[in-house]
Amino acid sequence: MTHSRDGVPAVEVNGLRKTYPGGVEAVKGIDFVVAPGEVFGLLGPNGAGKSTTIGMLTTTVIPSGGSARLAGFDVAEQPLLARGVSSVVFQDAVVDSSLTGRENLELHARLWGIAAADGRARIDDVSDALGVSELLERPVGSFSGGQRRRLEIARALVSRPRVLFLDEPTVGLDPRIRHELLDVVANLRGREQTTIVLTTHYLDEAERLCDRVAIIRLGEIVAMDSPRALLAGLGNEILELRVSGEAEHAIAELRERGVGGEDAFAIGARLTIPLHGCAPSEALSVLEEARIRVSEIATRTPTLDDVYLNRTGERLAAVA
Amino acid sequence: MATTATATAPLTLAPPETRVRPASALLTLARRRAMLTSRTPRQIAVPLLGPALLALILAPALKKATGGLHSHIDYTSFVGVGAVGLVIPLSCVFAGLSVLVDRHSGAQRELLAAPVGRAYLVLGNMLVAIVLSALQALVVVGLSALRGGSFHITGAGVAWFLAAALLFTVFMYGLAETVASRVHKEEDYVGATPVLAILPFFFAGALFPISAMPAALTTIAKLLPLTHALALMRYGFVDPSGRGLHDIWGMGNATTEAWLSLGVVALFAAALVTISVRVFARSAVA
Repeated sequence: MTHSRDGVPAVEVNGLRKTYPGGVEAVKGIDFVVAPGEVFGLLGPNGAGKSTTIGMLTTTVIPSGGSARLAGFDVAEQPLLARGVSSVVFQDAVVDSSLTGRENLELHARLWGIAAADGRARIDDVSDALGVSELLERPVGSFSGGQRRRLEIARALVSRPRVLFLDEPTVGLDPRIRHELLDVVANLRGREQTTIVLTTHYLDEAERLCDRVAIIRLGEIVAMDSPRALLAGLGNEILELRVSGEAEHAIAELRERGVGGEDAFAIGARLTIPLHGCAPSEALSVLEEARIRVSEIATRTPTLDDVYLNRTGERLAAVA
Repeated sequence: MATTATATAPLTLAPPETRVRPASALLTLARRRAMLTSRTPRQIAVPLLGPALLALILAPALKKATGGLHSHIDYTSFVGVGAVGLVIPLSCVFAGLSVLVDRHSGAQRELLAAPVGRAYLVLGNMLVAIVLSALQALVVVGLSALRGGSFHITGAGVAWFLAAALLFTVFMYGLAETVASRVHKEEDYVGATPVLAILPFFFAGALFPISAMPAALTTIAKLLPLTHALALMRYGFVDPSGRGLHDIWGMGNATTEAWLSLGVVALFAAALVTISVRVFARSAVA
């Protein structure tokens, strides 16, 4: 279901494009629809166009073409209304460091038109939920990176946004803080009735948090579905082999014998073969019969990195 | 590539969106700027230092050394008002620096994502610059009075002084905001400070009547909003005969000349507010 009861998607993007001065095409006409309450991920390496997309949706980047709506409000034609139903946590720290945590939250509440009494109650509520209650009277400049990021998420939630944008929310954080923050974000969906659009280049983040993922590369969406569906497309198990000789010949042999499908591929001497129910031994038999020498053998469950590799020919972990 | 989602999350929508009232947005943004300024005391003290010394030390000393203006106008108070013509530009230029700080610290992005018109981001800062400049001008005039400056305080005079100071502050802040929106580095902005804040001070008759300069420079002075603002402020507090206004307009009626000068300063102020809002709105988004 991509629409709310009143028939309005939380986010609706049609042919959205951005070409920066100088001709750099950051986003090349993307389309997607996000349902109310959904957690939607934009997964891709740095420079893929994720932040530019978030910028256009939050009206801080002017689209070169196409359209986008937040809760039915066109970001180009009705920017104030679109901004009124959304909040964003930016990739970099975006706080007034000399103000206290509470002052930062209060300013957000006022700017988003929250009544004073409601704002105070809401600040107590979200700061409690995000674990920053004890920090509120301290200047933000004294916060650690993780504390600051929690405060920024709390601030974004103060206005009860229909759409919450999280632009690389865990980038730059140490692994422990990062996993704590993932717990926080994971808990938001049960607690807040908000739609989350998340950008990330971390595969585990996308798999863990998102109902659906759009894999974005060089400004284009190359795959979009739920993580489970994307992974299912690669079968339950992946066989990885290193072969001597022509890898493409090995792939052709496997396909001919029905062991490897169209999604099997080779990069250099390494073969990646989604098995789709076949046993690894069947693949090895085929290669042995074809007199292709195999030097390394490994099986594992597919990841989104395999999906990315399958669609783009490169590993996300290598380019992120 | 629109696809069908598989959302399982609750579908209850958040409460309907609220519209932010412009006055509320403006006051919130001004409150933010006031809080930030109050935690940066140097932003208040540094612009005040030079003009205060001008009023406290230079004006009385020059009066004693040179005998003043050799007219009915008291030189200490003449320079006291002239120092206001330095403190306002310095204060506004310092305030403009905070735009760059906002941009570089990232805080500007949160403001740009708020459901308020982008013009209010400029106007909120401007409101605080006006209040701060007014307080600093009051301190400078007060110090001048303490050093023996003679001021003629009347209701109409106060109105002329305030109107001129207000409009000139709006002009100066608009100029500072425009430059801050255009430059990328704080070093470039600081480099522009002498041109924006100090250079006009030497041409606008802050320390001497503009008629004392060569004719070509006098003509240039007449084009500067600071010249008109200073003549108006002196007309309000120091020189009810409007000698400074006569130097600009060469007419007989000081009130008419005052209205004309006020119109000039208002025109500059309106132009720079418009330009600063447009330049900010264009430069703030990609």
